Amino acid sequence: MVGELVPILVLLAVAVVIVAGIIGLTHLFGPKHPDPVKLSPYESGMEPVGEARTRFSIRFYIIAMLFVLFDIEVVFFYPWAVVFKKLLSMGSFILIEMLVFVGLLLVGYLYAWKKGALEWD
Amino acid sequence: MVPVNYYLIVAAILFALGVLGVLIRRNALIIFMSIELMLNAVNLTFVALARHLHSIDGQIFVFFIMTVAAAEVAVGLAIIISVFRLKGTIHVDEINLLRG
Amino acid sequence: MVTIFFFIFAVTALVSAVLMITYKNPVYSALFLILTFFSLAGMYFLLEAQFIAIVQIIVYAGAIMVLFLFVMMLLNLRQETRLPIGRPFQVALGSIFALILLIQLFFIVKVGLTVSKFGAFPPEKINKIGSVQVIGGELFTNYLFPFEAASILLLVGIIGAIILGRKKLPNEM
Repeated sequence: MVGELVPILVLLAVAVVIVAGIIGLTHLFGPKHPDPVKLSPYESGMEPVGEARTRFSIRFYIIAMLFVLFDIEVVFFYPWAVVFKKLLSMGSFILIEMLVFVGLLLVGYLYAWKKGALEWD
Repeated sequence: MVPVNYYLIVAAILFALGVLGVLIRRNALIIFMSIELMLNAVNLTFVALARHLHSIDGQIFVFFIMTVAAAEVAVGLAIIISVFRLKGTIHVDEINLLRG
Repeated sequence: MVTIFFFIFAVTALVSAVLMITYKNPVYSALFLILTFFSLAGMYFLLEAQFIAIVQIIVYAGAIMVLFLFVMMLLNLRQETRLPIGRPFQVALGSIFALILLIQLFFIVKVGLTVSKFGAFPPEKINKIGSVQVIGGELFTNYLFPFEAASILLLVGIIGAIILGRKKLPNEM
């Protein structure tokens, strides 16, 4: 079974070699004439304003946090979808249990909506 | 075929490193990351033993541990943010009051 | 073949874990932690737990660490993030305790476990049915209650994080 992973491994090795090769070769052979303008970050032709590490708004955090929790929810869907057909032949409890699961998370979703966590004002 | 003990030893070292991180670091974020490292060390033990003992329960436990870890991270990081807004620091030695 | 990969993953996981707890800048710590998680995912592949390996990458390396990096940007701690490692006596004492713990864990591993009864899923059977099918089959029958409890846990996580994260201080944008 582990042997079946060899193609993925080859792909991984090729990806690493290509990336390392391109970066290494440009580092070796590329001309380097640094000056302040060249070293400044590219912002679509605009003058860079401020620093790259500015403080983010808390809204981004709430969105990211909701993403993590709903990500877990989707991970639970996957094995469910795989065994759905097999277990459906034994009765409809598999459907009901997932409806309960989604229903409970829907409460959380509606709570987030009501509290304005999804608003971007 | 790698013996199961090798995996257990790696997991033990990772767990001890997580404990070391919690004990020596004073940055709340890194302490939190060390806790994640400990959870992962336990996950490795679960998966290795599940295979060794011809059981699937270990893998399902790991699945639930990941769920718990995600909920824990969401709430824990929200707490760290609240503490930072209140005290202006995440240095755990300076967060020493029970009341804000 | 498997042994070589096991050692590659093990060394990567351990070295990046050490770097994670020693780097001053938490952003580097987080990146090394991601490397540790990837190595652990590799080990799960070697243990033929493909589903767990993929979930490890999606959930831990993907979602959880992104949240960590987000918080670092959110707090934007310049000097603050580079908090030094604790005072020397803390480091010494912490190292001693961690070492004692490690010796204890080694002892447990060395004593090993006496198995009288093996489970119903030897690796060959899991491979024949498929990792995801086996996990799904167990999860939605024998582990039904923990599965529903997980949804309540996620609900509590959503509510808790919104309540804690929503409040604004006057001087914030």
